[in-house]
Amino acid sequence: MAAPSLPAWLALQTRARTLRAFSTAVSPVTGAPRLSPPTTERTSKHERAPRRKALPPRTEKMSVDQDWPSVYPVAAPFKPSAVPLPVRMGYPVKKGVPMAKEGNLELLKIPNFLHLTPVAIKKHCEALKDFCTEWPAALDSDEKCEKHFPIEIDTADYISSGPSIRNPKARVVILRVKLSSLNLDDHAKKKLIKLVGDRYCKSTDVLTIKTDRCPLKRQNYDYAMYLLTVLYHESWKTEEWEKKKTEADMEEYVWKDSASEKNILETLFQIKAAEKNTELSKEELLSTKEVEDYKNSVVSLKNEGDNENTISQYKESVKRLLHLT
Amino acid sequence: IMLKGMTRLVSRVHKAKHGEQHVGQHYNISIQELKTVFPHGLPPRFVMQVKTFNEACLMVRKPALELLHYLKNTNFAHPAVRYVLYGEKGTGKTLSLCHIIHFCAKQDWLILHIPDAHLWVKNCRDLLQSTYNKQRFDQPLEASIWLKNFKTANERFLSQIKVQDKYVWNKRESTEKGSPLAEVVEQGIMRVRNATDAVGIVLKELKRQSSLGVFRLLVAVDGVNALWGRTTLKREDKSPITPEELALIYNLRKMVKNDWQGGAIVLTVSQTGSLFKPRKAYLPQELLGKEGFDTLDPFIPILVSNYNPKEFEGCIQYYLENNWLQHEKAHTEEGKKELLFLSNRNPGLLERLCAYL
Repeated sequence: MAAPSLPAWLALQTRARTLRAFSTAVSPVTGAPRLSPPTTERTSKHERAPRRKALPPRTEKMSVDQDWPSVYPVAAPFKPSAVPLPVRMGYPVKKGVPMAKEGNLELLKIPNFLHLTPVAIKKHCEALKDFCTEWPAALDSDEKCEKHFPIEIDTADYISSGPSIRNPKARVVILRVKLSSLNLDDHAKKKLIKLVGDRYCKSTDVLTIKTDRCPLKRQNYDYAMYLLTVLYHESWKTEEWEKKKTEADMEEYVWKDSASEKNILETLFQIKAAEKNTELSKEELLSTKEVEDYKNSVVSLKNEGDNENTISQYKESVKRLLHLT
Repeated sequence: IMLKGMTRLVSRVHKAKHGEQHVGQHYNISIQELKTVFPHGLPPRFVMQVKTFNEACLMVRKPALELLHYLKNTNFAHPAVRYVLYGEKGTGKTLSLCHIIHFCAKQDWLILHIPDAHLWVKNCRDLLQSTYNKQRFDQPLEASIWLKNFKTANERFLSQIKVQDKYVWNKRESTEKGSPLAEVVEQGIMRVRNATDAVGIVLKELKRQSSLGVFRLLVAVDGVNALWGRTTLKREDKSPITPEELALIYNLRKMVKNDWQGGAIVLTVSQTGSLFKPRKAYLPQELLGKEGFDTLDPFIPILVSNYNPKEFEGCIQYYLENNWLQHEKAHTEEGKKELLFLSNRNPGLLERLCAYL
């Protein structure tokens, strides 16, 4: 039995580097029990094949200017032996530090983007360039893009390896347009802003319409364009009930017919009555320079809120109106 | 023996002659005058200071001087002008108002002083349904307290002014036309149930008669933003009450409108004591709200700010002279710099800091 087992044992030995190392001090007696079917009796410690020593981690062999995208070409879990960074993560015990990366479950749980470093992305872009068309040379500034193409459409495509190529997120369409590029007059613009509500951003003057109610991207795009057309035409029309717009609905302060105008007129009339000077009529009073100043200061105070400038302007105009020095 | 320093030079000068050069100096009010002119209305910490130092000294400051200048040049034939003092917390709005009131009292004006309008919109225990108008509510306690103080402040006028209408209180009591206003005030103090109506009558009569030129009326309200805010008072069915439904507030609103002549209206807006307003709010529009601003418009806003360096020095000198600052480093330059840094020249903060030294 020993003779046929010897060449098999030698053949095993040639693959010693990657497999567990077999000790050379094994007696032929123990060679036989290995080839026999596994028994329930435990082998003693010195009869078990001892383990190979652990190799140093790959990080020690990495050079500083190596090609990182080839270490992490795809999204992969965090391998502490392959990432040369001394990362620590975890809540430290008292008078301790966060745990090191070896055997750290926290680092495994979180998503990592080690496969998407800027170098890797540059490589992706270079590869994708072959599939892209060239940017038109005439559109070299933002203003020109806006002038010729005021409407911007954002869509997203998703690819993944799986049983189906469809992804429900791909049907979302976002339409962005600046209201300054649309032909709207004052009433139409205010009505449009009221109709769309939250979808309009005042600081950037951009209307954003996000549609995903249809199952296909093309249908959603058509729906978004339809919405824009309808909004535009509706805001130009004036309905009967719009005439009932009250002061509480106004977006900004309008001085005409406001309480402030009434107050000032009453005050001025009383002053004039006291000075026996009742010839002036309402229109004349309104057109004097002091009242103009006062009107501007009140409008700025109401629209911009209180700040030093507006308040002092208001104070000066009131002083002049009431003839206080 | 306390050294009477530079700050006392002004005490003998009559307030009417206060001018630009007196900014930063204190002037004295005698304790007797204090009792008659200010039965209510001084800030509580100031009252404590008066008791400690045994004298009342107000600092002459720019906002008050500005207002005094306007008041001296008022044309009493024109409708009453409204002045609104505004500023951050602790800058001295209430004390400036008191300065104005004292000046007008010396000049023999009739003072209508509501010390804190916020007290009328919160924490009122008994609210009765008003006898005059079923929709409104009466506040007998607040009204009677105010009537008592009003009587102390304006004794001499009450017998001179005659009411111009007959007022029937109930089946047995009524006030005839032509009787002095003192009777109405007495009625309000004695019969607490009618106190709110008495206040309403007083306000109405004063407004009517001041336009005739019999006397000059100064309406001074502290915390006027309470008139247009919200209240914390609720009816029995826990529904909230708006300020208009309180008879006191309703009548006071009529008072601060500028449809009468022969006087002036000085108001302060304050966040301390206000309801449902953020702590940092101090600008007039924020505190008055849309309704308040529309009612008070046009008014003259006057900013009351922290002490300027000269006033700060003056204040520290005053405390040092009264031996209020006991800390040994208080009179050194470094001590003053520390106080400046800690208080940022805010009068209220400075007063609280010095209380510990």
